[in-house]
Amino acid sequence: MGETPTQDRELRDLMIRYQSADARALDELVRRISPPLLRYFGGSRSLQNDAEDLLQECWIRIHRSRHTYRSSEPVMPWVYAIARHTRLDAYRKRRRLESREILVASVPENLDRAAPEPLQDDGFDRLVASLPEAQREVIVMLKVSGMSLEEVAKATSSSVGAVKQRAHRAYTALRHGLEKDGKDAT
Amino acid sequence: MPHNSREDDLERRVESWASSQGSAEFPSEIQQKISRMLAPSLTPVKPLSSQRTLVLEFLAVFTACAIALILILDKAGFHLMTALQMTLIPAILFGGGILFSIALAAGMVPSARRRLPPVVLPLAGLSVIIAMGLLFPWRTSAAFVSQGWPCAFLEAIITVPAGVVFLLLARRGALFASPGLGAVLTGLAVFLALTPLQFQCMFQQAPHLLVWHGGTALLLILLGALIGQLRRHRRIS
Repeated sequence: MGETPTQDRELRDLMIRYQSADARALDELVRRISPPLLRYFGGSRSLQNDAEDLLQECWIRIHRSRHTYRSSEPVMPWVYAIARHTRLDAYRKRRRLESREILVASVPENLDRAAPEPLQDDGFDRLVASLPEAQREVIVMLKVSGMSLEEVAKATSSSVGAVKQRAHRAYTALRHGLEKDGKDAT
Repeated sequence: MPHNSREDDLERRVESWASSQGSAEFPSEIQQKISRMLAPSLTPVKPLSSQRTLVLEFLAVFTACAIALILILDKAGFHLMTALQMTLIPAILFGGGILFSIALAAGMVPSARRRLPPVVLPLAGLSVIIAMGLLFPWRTSAAFVSQGWPCAFLEAIITVPAGVVFLLLARRGALFASPGLGAVLTGLAVFLALTPLQFQCMFQQAPHLLVWHGGTALLLILLGALIGQLRRHRRIS
């Protein structure tokens, strides 16, 4: 969990080799970067079923944009910035398709409620999945990918203050969720 | 439960959730599929210049085009301006060029550091409007429209090719078309167009400048935002 400075250096070296068309570096990057990306896409309730497609789409974008990576910068914020655009485009596409479907057929009012349940049937996993996207992605980047506040700010095109605020709100929501679960259990 | 203990419990659960996420299995067939998909188009690429170099490139094009157009076009307006107008208006327009260049260069690189708060660019536009309103006399002539539309036309025909030039420069980056990026790109071209126009225009009055120069600039930026929106729409369909 999380990239150590050594791992980050390795990722930077792999990116430089990938830019020089080293096929082994590409394989290694796909092996290392895909799991956190798949979790990033899969953790979103409304896009869970499309996680693999989104991962492939994201890799196509990474591939096309690989020249924009600079070796002086950490790799993961750059990767997540592209992943974020991929996810936002998928949301927009889905929303548009859904709005068209609503015109021709009756569909549930809240489509999020109709989304499939998370892959792991764990209470806390469900709580995290129920967070608003902006808060969930911050928690995933900070806790699962081990990125710093500054790196998350870069990946999400926002300020460190905004990232702190989102993380704080996510923790507050999780705390309330746990308390509610505790009360429901008793 | 005491407050600290609740906090510890939450942190422990978050950490445990994060490590369970980190240790989840990743299907190797997906990995192979992605590698196979990308391998045929794997060619060496030259990394993009630094953000500072990109900004300097945009500014160099901005300055060179502005100077060339000032030299080519009539300079009647320049001779009508006071020393204060001559100093402040080009300084504000060049300042706008710098800010829009910084914003455009940042839009070219995913995860580029955001150097400008979002409010800065609208403020740059507003400062031009305020300068036009405060530095020039509030007089108008009977031929307001017939004097105005040639300025609007000239501004548009400079903005369009300038926008194309900036787009060609910016396309080297990873552009994710959006209304914001469209507005930034057009904004830079509009600031470039306003500079020679200010030197060329012989109707240096606030109503003329605000309506025909400022109004056209606003419309062009809105058009740029609309094009950005349409391009995003096309990308996701």
